[in-house]
Amino acid sequence: MVTPIRLSVFVYPLLGALLLALSAAVNAVDSCAKADAVAVSWLDKMSHSVRRHSYHGVVTLQRGDDMQVIQVSHLVKRGASSERLIQLTGQGAGVSRKAHPLECVHPGHQLLRVSEELQAGRCGLAEQYQFRVDGAERIAGRPAVKITVEPRDMYRYGYRLALDRETGLLLKTETFAQGGKVLEKFQYANLSYGDSVPGTTEVDIVHEAAHPHPAHGNDVRRVMRPWRVSWLPRGFTLTDASDGESGRQSFTDGLAVFSVFLENFDREIRAGEGVVREGGTLSYTRGMRLGDQPVLVTVIGEVPINTARMVADSLSWME
Amino acid sequence: MSEKLRESLSALMDDEANELELERLLSRIGADENLRQSWVRYNMARGPVAGSGQALPLADISRRVSDALQDLPADGSEQSKVPAAGLRQRLLRPVASFAVAASVAAAVIVSGQQLAQLGVPDAYDRDNAVAASASPVGMINSLGATPVQASYGTQSVPVLQPATRTAYEQLARQRMGRYIQVHAEHAALNSPQGLIPFARVDEIQK
Repeated sequence: MVTPIRLSVFVYPLLGALLLALSAAVNAVDSCAKADAVAVSWLDKMSHSVRRHSYHGVVTLQRGDDMQVIQVSHLVKRGASSERLIQLTGQGAGVSRKAHPLECVHPGHQLLRVSEELQAGRCGLAEQYQFRVDGAERIAGRPAVKITVEPRDMYRYGYRLALDRETGLLLKTETFAQGGKVLEKFQYANLSYGDSVPGTTEVDIVHEAAHPHPAHGNDVRRVMRPWRVSWLPRGFTLTDASDGESGRQSFTDGLAVFSVFLENFDREIRAGEGVVREGGTLSYTRGMRLGDQPVLVTVIGEVPINTARMVADSLSWME
Repeated sequence: MSEKLRESLSALMDDEANELELERLLSRIGADENLRQSWVRYNMARGPVAGSGQALPLADISRRVSDALQDLPADGSEQSKVPAAGLRQRLLRPVASFAVAASVAAAVIVSGQQLAQLGVPDAYDRDNAVAASASPVGMINSLGATPVQASYGTQSVPVLQPATRTAYEQLARQRMGRYIQVHAEHAALNSPQGLIPFARVDEIQK
């Protein structure tokens, strides 16, 4: 007599869960299939544009009332690219990357090749974001296509991109939070294509950009025990290999990137958390205990605070 | 340095800064070289260090600040009910401008070690956490999201004393300065803007 009721108590939730799981799976495939084909082809064009074109120009970075101006040059030659960035405001330092092989595709850039991913049966970026073509505008004198990239969950920001109609080059990136508040904006003020890079401003400090290889990590600072991040928002993957004992691990979903830094302390620290933001970049620092070890965890990246907090929460030592 | 900050700094020197201004100064001083220099200038112009012609010895300030922080009530004591005023008075009272100097310097030199010296029971310690010291894991409103789960749920988020909160904000700012370039290396290779993420680095190191 009692059995059917008992059974239903177990079966219905189970059935419900099953249905939910099923519909989630169908949704994933659906959202994948519904990826705006035109927008996707533009993103593809964008992801390949930096391998095809040489250019130089001036870019502005706006964050609130603050504006930085930088000079950018990008040269594609003999199967490799060379890039240079010089700050025209602020410190006035430069960054340079020489002879980066074109066939060297890092995890984030692979994720950007949306149609390649779709063909390989992976939803990739289309699972995390919704893309749509949103009209046209003119940036740095070039006709551009506007693409709106809306996140499908609350763990990442959205973007309004503008791509050069002719080359697909990314001319503008506006990062916005839920509710549409713009956090930062990169935009070309002028742009010229071609190999003839004009004489660049001389600067004292030029940093040679590192090349963290996807297959091996390269961090100097070590922590005492291997650790891992047990929770990541869907779609995020390591940017380079980590043996677990490096003090840093970085993750990307193709558009957003964040890095997690772990520091050991040999003494107790007062538990707590602190947050600062600069434009779209967040620094979230948390003092806590991992097992019996006092640690300081810092998440730096272009993600909302709850993402950083949940990632920090999920840190654990590897057994 | 903005006019507002300059005003706050001057008000602080005249002992007329309100909590908001104090907080604003503390939060900016680590990142703002101009503000730091103004503060040193203001200090040299008046009080015990006037005319010494030297910048304040950082190590000494560091010691004074950690002393000041250690003196702070660890929990629930009377002073914590009016914590901001308590901190300010404590930092302002002993030797007027030097103590102010020290409180502002706290922002510059506060480190994990100093947090370590605060050494109090760990509010994240699940075995020892008492309900009064920690807020339940709940929903927050944050930039970039509708109200969402604020925590992974494994650890509770403690309610922080103002001194600790300020120290942690400073720590977050310091760590931003220390790590942003390493982060930019990865952003530059894994997001679509090429080297442009380096524009977010205030001080590029070789």
